[in-house]
Amino acid sequence: MRVGLLPTEGNSTYRFTVLLLATIGILISSLPVIVVTIMSFSASDNTGFPPPDLSLRWYWDVIAMFTQEDANSAQSVVDSTVTSLLVAFIVMIISTIVCIPLAYALARGDRRIRDGMELLFTLPLVFPLVILGIAFLLIAESLRMDIGIWRIVIPHVALVLPFVLRNCIGAMNGISVETEEAAISLGASPLRAIWDVVIPLMRAGILAGLIFALIISFNEFTITFFMYTIDVSTLPIWMYSRTVSSLDPSTLALSVFIIVADVVLIVLVDKLIAGRANLF
Amino acid sequence: MSISLSRPMSLAFSLPAVIAILPFLGACFYIFRFSISAEKGVIDGYSIQAYIDLMTPFFGRSVWLTLKLAFVATIIAMMLAVPLAFLLTSLKSPLARRCLTVTILLPLILNLLVQAYGWILLLGPSGVLNSALKALGIIERPIFLLFNETGVLLGLIQTSLPLAVFPIVSSVRGLSQEHLEAASSLGASHWRTFVDVTVPLLRPGLVGAASIVFAFNASAFAIPLLLGGRRVQMMGVAIRDMISPLFNWSGAAAAGMILITLTLIVLVFSSWLVRVTSEKVRG
Repeated sequence: MRVGLLPTEGNSTYRFTVLLLATIGILISSLPVIVVTIMSFSASDNTGFPPPDLSLRWYWDVIAMFTQEDANSAQSVVDSTVTSLLVAFIVMIISTIVCIPLAYALARGDRRIRDGMELLFTLPLVFPLVILGIAFLLIAESLRMDIGIWRIVIPHVALVLPFVLRNCIGAMNGISVETEEAAISLGASPLRAIWDVVIPLMRAGILAGLIFALIISFNEFTITFFMYTIDVSTLPIWMYSRTVSSLDPSTLALSVFIIVADVVLIVLVDKLIAGRANLF
Repeated sequence: MSISLSRPMSLAFSLPAVIAILPFLGACFYIFRFSISAEKGVIDGYSIQAYIDLMTPFFGRSVWLTLKLAFVATIIAMMLAVPLAFLLTSLKSPLARRCLTVTILLPLILNLLVQAYGWILLLGPSGVLNSALKALGIIERPIFLLFNETGVLLGLIQTSLPLAVFPIVSSVRGLSQEHLEAASSLGASHWRTFVDVTVPLLRPGLVGAASIVFAFNASAFAIPLLLGGRRVQMMGVAIRDMISPLFNWSGAAAAGMILITLTLIVLVFSSWLVRVTSEKVRG
């Protein structure tokens, strides 16, 4: 007899309540995204609901924004998208490179270091982003140095480290010491064993961490809101400055591109770590 | 033969990551140092003036509002997260499980602006909800749900829900089947089993999830900024206003320290609570 948390038979109030609350949860999670997607296909200029007609005109607008030079705006959408992608790419590479050896050390090293390090690398997860944004801004201002894109990369790296590390540790946990010992007893040096045996086995977790870092950095708004300058600004900041007074449908079409990219990447992460580790 | 890294080796392996997190630690220290600076604009001397200046009704209201909204949002998010976790763990089809995972996770990851657009379209004066209610003849004039506490609350629940669901999912997975079967074979109803068996067994996971959700909501910035406008001055927004129009850096740093302290108190208290209650269960 299997007793589920969610009874499958009968019309008990318990089952009804659980399903009702779960449905409300799903609606709260998904409705904003669904409405943005529907409204992006609207043919009208305003964002009243329901859209009178459907069209793809805002999508053509977005494509035009990316392909034609717009002399009016100070910071073009192309520049901020390129910056966003570049930042996300650097953040992804740095955070993964530093997390792989750390995850190895935590899995094979001594217990006390492990506990301390795990605590240290959970901190950015619970630290208020506003304060972090202000603190990094204060430091950047007092340094009086033009560090260009790094003023966004450095805080983003700190922000994504907990996520990347969790994925790498999850990958390390699945690798038994015996595999490594086998490589060493066959004559490989310990470093060679790590490079040729452990890292290939960690591949799925590393990839999941890479993608996680990419999406978090690409979508980050709060810290970047404090750190951006006229020269270095990201796509979320561009969207904010465009919609601060009113919402126009072409931004919604742009949002749909972002939603689709995020969904594809999350599905990819979920596939990579399916059943073996927790998302965070 | 067993592979275990020597202490220097393991420190050497950790070094790159520690260097990467150093700017973060530096930022934490810097904000603390600035909060006890005697000058408002630069770090100079020591004084607790910045903290004393914060003892105003305005800032007190902001702290109260932050705690209230974060608390209510946490309670509602937990009430929705437990059923979602049950649903997620009892889904048999991998496709359905994947769809639900993505639906729940997306709000945490997705650009907060896009989600704010969604709420504006849903709750705005000519938005989905108002149009629907008007078409049904329930209301005549649009009800205002945006740029007040309702809108912010919904946004907070939505963005913090994934932080509640996934830890609960992992504690539900660790739940022993025997306990549930025992309760059921002894004739306990579903509700009875839920209250007397499931919740006590899940309690450490529930408290842990709730404390993270609370910390996340208390320090929210983008959601109150975008959905609350100027009217809902949660601490995150109030701190930004100290910097942006007022240039009161030390005041913002002091307010930040208060916010960090509040969230830390909640986190420490909840981990203490978990320790105490799990000892009781074991003993």
